[in-house]
Amino acid sequence: MANKRTKSKANSNGNRPRNGVRAITAHGAADAIVRRAGSPKRTGEGVRPSAANTDLRTYSIPDYRLEHPNFTVHQSVEKDKAGAEHVHYEVEGDLDAPVPPIRDSKYLSKQQAIEIYRYMLLNRKMETALENLYKQGKVVGGVYFGLGQEACSCASAYALDKDDWFAPMIRNQGSLLVRGFRASDTMMQYMAKAGSPTKGRDGTSHFGDIEKRNMVSPISMLGDLIPVMSGVALGARLQGRNIAVMTWIGDGGQSTGVTYEGINFAAVQNLGLVLVIESNEWAYSTPSEMQYRCKDLAERAIGYGIPGVIIDGTDACQVYDAAYEAVERAHRGEGPTMIEAKMMRMKGHAIHDAAAYVPKALFDFWKKRDPIARFENYLVREKKWLTGQENGELISEVERVIEEEREIAVNSPMPTPESAEGGVSCEDGCHVIKPKYGMPKVKKGTSRYKETEAAVHLK
Amino acid sequence: MQLTYLEAIRQGIWEEMEHDPTVFCLGEDIGIYGGAFKVTDGFIDRFGPERVIDTPIAESAIVGAAFGASLTGMRPVAEFQFMDFIPCAMNQISNMVAKTHYLWGAPAPLVLRGPSGGYVHGGPFHSQNPEMWFVHNPGLKVICPATPYDAKGLIKAAIRDNNPCLFFEHKYLYRRIKGEVPAEDYVVPIGKARIAREGRDLSVITYAAMVHSALEAADMLAKESIDVEVLDLRTVSPLDREAIAQTVKKTNRVIILHEHSRTGGLAGEIAAIINEEVFDDLDGPIVRITGLDSAIPFSPPQEEHYLPKVSDIVREARRLKAY
Ligand SMILES: Cc1ncc(C[n+]2csc(CCOP(=O)(O)OP(=O)(O)O)c2C)c(N)n1
Ligand SMILES: [Mg+2]
Repeated sequence: MANKRTKSKANSNGNRPRNGVRAITAHGAADAIVRRAGSPKRTGEGVRPSAANTDLRTYSIPDYRLEHPNFTVHQSVEKDKAGAEHVHYEVEGDLDAPVPPIRDSKYLSKQQAIEIYRYMLLNRKMETALENLYKQGKVVGGVYFGLGQEACSCASAYALDKDDWFAPMIRNQGSLLVRGFRASDTMMQYMAKAGSPTKGRDGTSHFGDIEKRNMVSPISMLGDLIPVMSGVALGARLQGRNIAVMTWIGDGGQSTGVTYEGINFAAVQNLGLVLVIESNEWAYSTPSEMQYRCKDLAERAIGYGIPGVIIDGTDACQVYDAAYEAVERAHRGEGPTMIEAKMMRMKGHAIHDAAAYVPKALFDFWKKRDPIARFENYLVREKKWLTGQENGELISEVERVIEEEREIAVNSPMPTPESAEGGVSCEDGCHVIKPKYGMPKVKKGTSRYKETEAAVHLK
Repeated sequence: MQLTYLEAIRQGIWEEMEHDPTVFCLGEDIGIYGGAFKVTDGFIDRFGPERVIDTPIAESAIVGAAFGASLTGMRPVAEFQFMDFIPCAMNQISNMVAKTHYLWGAPAPLVLRGPSGGYVHGGPFHSQNPEMWFVHNPGLKVICPATPYDAKGLIKAAIRDNNPCLFFEHKYLYRRIKGEVPAEDYVVPIGKARIAREGRDLSVITYAAMVHSALEAADMLAKESIDVEVLDLRTVSPLDREAIAQTVKKTNRVIILHEHSRTGGLAGEIAAIINEEVFDDLDGPIVRITGLDSAIPFSPPQEEHYLPKVSDIVREARRLKAY
């Protein structure tokens, strides 16, 4: 049976509709959703919480966006001429709003902004090259794209320091470039080549590097990186360092239980997790309306007792600023931050998926908010940090790099069949384990070993 | 020095924490309370709350965090309050931790330890022996000690190992078994079985609490002039194929004994190894004595019926000897 939603704007529980309705009051001012709860003191001035009441809980989720897209996606049933019912998705809301400006960054220099722009270009052109390699039959399996999400992947990773760690999800192939991997690394993964970082053993962005680039390899199961990254921060802290550990999770992937466990662990242990929620409207073919009930996922930060912030994921400056602030908090030892980046997955789930289930109006709306076109316009026309000619040269340089990388990847041989064997365990000195940030300082012995009392549980 | 099985494990972890600053413990109620069975009793006072971390009730987070920390060069020892809860972290163990070295070449030197096993009327959720799920999972080492000496030597070896190790402590043995444990530092190598009792007529291949049942049965059978060899595997992954082949070559008759349920159990795997390595040396069928193919029930008469008994071993040994 079709799950036809009522068309009224207010949800049955009285919540505001999702995806933002609050008009911004002034250009550049952060909008805040303020939640108040807390019991008034019994002997206090009655039932209304007051500012003087120390029990009062005030939570706010800053919102850096300069627009608050206002629409919902729901299932709807249509009858065809023969009377047969068809269920499809419908979008409802204001899809004609003008494109907002890029929000000036509080932290980015001209040079840094241009560098992020270059990574975004590399990201997109690498994925275009992958699409072509796929069409030429050179890719094993599918190809995943971060189209429309390049600002979210690149500007966030750009905020990390050298000693920080990251773990990309499938749409964050740009973050790999920012952190120093080559486009050919990712290309060879997709082509299952011997020269790929996993030597053919896994594909896509599933690889890691604990030595130089501090990357944990993702696994396919969504959410499982979150406790792992928390553990990386825990390990570093035991070695005397507060580092930031960044990972991303989708609006769909955040529904997993391990997401809760991982964020809560970081919160309780006050670990420098920087979790970017890629709120991109879809999880494979399921709209975010069918993943969660709260208005904005960043609100969940309130429940974890950690800061949350909402940003426009197509605005590189907003992404960078939120990530930078979260990374700084992590470095100060102040614990995790949740960043919700609102944007849209501009292709199907992977190359096989034509995304026919997505209402076209949604693509049209977000196409106007293409992160690269917007940033280009900002750098070239608004800020005039790049001349038209410099921009053209930058684009040609990026295309040249991608072509070279493509050549390297294509020319790498396939692995031998026998290379499937071995390496299951770390044996015979293949690795020396040592603390990455220095030997932990440990407490000197103050109590001696003595035998324990009899146990109580299940004799 | 005579130590209980539990005390031997506790001492092993304590000593590793004393000599290696990268070792730390995490788990539920392991700090001030000292763990549900008191394996980490007193640790928080000696090593501090930084290295003895009470976690939320979140098994995936515990394993995930242990794994993450291991990637930075730490050697975490994570406790499961009961090994019955290990499926809550199955994805972390199976898909994250176990595949790491094979896929992207990162070592994960962590230990996941906790109480397992029946004979204590713990019921279906506090008596299980879930080791086989991990034996069938390349990339993990699975350790199941039977004696205080081995428990201490193997927990130390597990902590020093560069690979993820699952350490199944048998809760029936915790305070029932005492044994001699040397005062000086030693380890027991992972993957090596030991002959718990020499014998000529038939072999019982087993591990953990069942070693003690096999020894008890062997004493009874000795009175009937049936000379039983008991092979204690100590580690169930990797299996000591060599020791399995040797004992079959010597006695030509074999019983495989384990607590967990029969279908898909370790006995089947060992029977296959015997088939591959020493088929010609067999003078009789390979006999399995195992738990039933059901959940492990709560009520004492039912639990007793479910689990292998000394009398089962005696009966099957007589039958096999006469074969
Ligand atoms: C635990 C788990 N269940 C199912 C899948 C299969 N799967 C892969 S991606 C995906 C959709 C993910 O959507 P979302 O998290 O919103 O990320 P997006 O693709 O939008 O970036 C699904 C269902 C998976 N990888 N992991
Ligand atoms: Mg999504």
